[in-house]
Amino acid sequence: MKLYKKEGNILQILSFPNETVEKGDYLLIEDADAGKALIAQVIDVQFASIPGILEELLRSLPDGGELVQGEDFDPLEIAPHITYIQDASLIVCKIRATVENESLTPSSSWLPSRSQSTIKKVPIPTLLKLARIDGKLPIVLGGTKDASLLTIDASSLDGRLNIITGKKETGKSHLSKLLILDMIRYKTTVVVFDLNGEYLSLGMTADGKRNAHHDKIHVLSPSQNFKVALKQVHLHILLEILIHALHLPGTSAREFRRIWQSLKERDNLTLRELGEAIRVWHCNQHVRDALFSRYYALVNSGFFTDNVAEATLLEECLFRAREQGGAIIINLKNTSPIDRQIVVEYLLGKLVELLTSWRLKAVFLFAEEAHLYLRETYWDDIVTRMRHFGIFTTFITNQPDTIRENIYRQADNIFLFNFTNEHDLEVVSRAARVDAETVKSIARDLPPHHCLVLGKVVKDFPMVAKVKALDVKTMGETRLFFKEMN
Amino acid sequence: MIQQHTIATTPKYNFPQPTIDTTLPQRLIELSIHSLKHVQNQPIQLNQQTLQQNSNTETPTQTLQLKPQPIPLKPKHEETIVAAVDTSSIKIGETTTGILIAVRGANVWKQNRNYRYVRLGPFVFHITEENKREVYSALQRAYFNSPHEHNHQSSPNLLQMPTRIASLLERWLQTTLSKTISNGLILFDGSLTSGTPDTPTQLIRETLEAARKRRNIVLAFSKMTNLRFNGHLITDIPLGHKPPYLLETAGLTTKPPVVLLGDVYVARLTKGNYAFRLDIDKEASPGQKIDAVEKLLGNDLFSQSYPETLRLAHILCTFTANEVIAMQHFTTRKHRLRIINRPDMHRLLFGPFGRGEGNS
Repeated sequence: MKLYKKEGNILQILSFPNETVEKGDYLLIEDADAGKALIAQVIDVQFASIPGILEELLRSLPDGGELVQGEDFDPLEIAPHITYIQDASLIVCKIRATVENESLTPSSSWLPSRSQSTIKKVPIPTLLKLARIDGKLPIVLGGTKDASLLTIDASSLDGRLNIITGKKETGKSHLSKLLILDMIRYKTTVVVFDLNGEYLSLGMTADGKRNAHHDKIHVLSPSQNFKVALKQVHLHILLEILIHALHLPGTSAREFRRIWQSLKERDNLTLRELGEAIRVWHCNQHVRDALFSRYYALVNSGFFTDNVAEATLLEECLFRAREQGGAIIINLKNTSPIDRQIVVEYLLGKLVELLTSWRLKAVFLFAEEAHLYLRETYWDDIVTRMRHFGIFTTFITNQPDTIRENIYRQADNIFLFNFTNEHDLEVVSRAARVDAETVKSIARDLPPHHCLVLGKVVKDFPMVAKVKALDVKTMGETRLFFKEMN
Repeated sequence: MIQQHTIATTPKYNFPQPTIDTTLPQRLIELSIHSLKHVQNQPIQLNQQTLQQNSNTETPTQTLQLKPQPIPLKPKHEETIVAAVDTSSIKIGETTTGILIAVRGANVWKQNRNYRYVRLGPFVFHITEENKREVYSALQRAYFNSPHEHNHQSSPNLLQMPTRIASLLERWLQTTLSKTISNGLILFDGSLTSGTPDTPTQLIRETLEAARKRRNIVLAFSKMTNLRFNGHLITDIPLGHKPPYLLETAGLTTKPPVVLLGDVYVARLTKGNYAFRLDIDKEASPGQKIDAVEKLLGNDLFSQSYPETLRLAHILCTFTANEVIAMQHFTTRKHRLRIINRPDMHRLLFGPFGRGEGNS
């Protein structure tokens, strides 16, 4: 390999057919005289622009596209040299760091010698060692191309905003399961908004037996084993639900507040009493109708109960997870969109309440397709306010444009699976921790289950890994009509 | 006399091959390898301007007349083999003692509606002032095989060597075709003018004679001509006739030792403004000449009045920039030549106004 060009932080390297370099590989461009080296990542492999190549190709197809047959008598065997030159490739690399005295700096301001520099591939373990991507809480994501393991540190997810994205069936949920299981291994509290029931069997092995995490996986299904007594709910949480999930107008909300305070003063906060109070409350008929319609929505959701004993599981699970680590899976599979919003509003409010009072230290929240249940104003809340309370979110989506641009800008880590759609790649490339060229070039060619890891977990050295297999019962598979036939 | 060998040693030809003299290619290989052996570990200066030379010689003549009546042509589709020869040479670099050159030749033929080719080379030579005589004489001996009119000439200067070696290869390829195909049309690149250093009269005569013996007709197309009639290039003179047609010339005279072995025509074979000087073997009867061009029209494709077979021969032997780089790579790798970048004095002295040595 020979250094050809440097423009900004882009390097162009000439490579010959016997030197195999692929997208995602890291190269070390070492200038021994300068005592420095550049670490650059391959973001594209192109044909080198060889003079006369067009003539060469045209010559082989001169007869209206039909190949002219013939014999070449090439005694000096120059033909292999011709193909050697023809197949030379141009490797486009992005400079990631400079190595000087065995330490890394993100500088690309110096120019290595074109004639004297040596270029070689950097094995991933060497890079991990150089970049000090290790730690005391290892999470093995999977294998890299050179058969080494890509291990991140669990603490690099602590206090961070993460995004897992990629097109359908590329392995997003698989990776999030892996992260969840490893996080609970380190005694963290994880809450999962499970839209499709994919995480319900996290505690089971592939053959249906209990696994080592079984006791730490708590599945809560709203209106079944997950209910809330009105007495446990703070007024502001219920108002959030009424206003944001059930769209209660402001005037009616004011009346509701009075009703609620009246019931609370009498220690009569039950569903039945609430209905009765709305019925007899002195107010405009329209307001009463509005309150009644929301009241019945709450009742019909089945999420609220007057039996306090039925409504203790969430806190129990959270406190158990606090002690020994665990994941609370909120099963939203069979929940209507309105009820889903009610549940999410309640849960987030409850988490903030517990975190504010330091009854919980921190919660790692995994939210699948959050746009289906998270109201507009919560996005900013999650990445700014809630982070300070200790809610560290990981968004999982196959529609990257459903996540706002400011979320991408503030994302600390992105786990990117394959995307072929230009628009999707464009959206993801807005992330602050990575350059658009890397995202667009590498993500487009990722095979299924291969993930481009970007951000702090890899110390800003984008790396591709094949996510390791998990012995967990698969749920959430697409139901197929022709499954039997296939 | 040229020693005749059977074709057993050159199985790459798959058109009728009764007897072919393989001496020249073997000598080319030997001399090529031998000359390169003496160049090891020398620095090589790549050319700023790589000049490609196609052997093409034409001696201007005077007193040319152009017959006013064109000879109209009608394509004859009677199945006839069309074969063509072309060679190319290129200087690929300079060493401290000489130059590195490469030559390549191609025979192309059309038979049963398919084009096929045999391509020889590239042969890379390291030519120095010391070995140029030896190389050239050895190749001449291999080709002429006996004392010949040409052997008395001094060897060419260094810069002429690429063209000279390519010419030798071209003559050998032409002879090979003349002795292998029958009842065909053999297309040469250039003219049938002989008596120049590259075109020994005796040799060309022998080649034409060999072709005639096998009932072939030799037609030579010149891409460029200096022949003028009334001050105009003969290929530029517009006539109000519909192509294809030939215009016959008369009154061409040459000074010894230059000899015209063909009758010269202006051939306008397709619509458009393209016309070429066409030399047809003098010994063929007027009827045979017209018949040959009509068969050519009926058996080959034509683009801009130029036969496809000859175009392919040219394309196949021409060196592309890619191949030049590959040959430079070959010489540096195989013979451990050290590439040096001697500054181009024109560029150095005149900056952007220096056009490079090759264009000076």
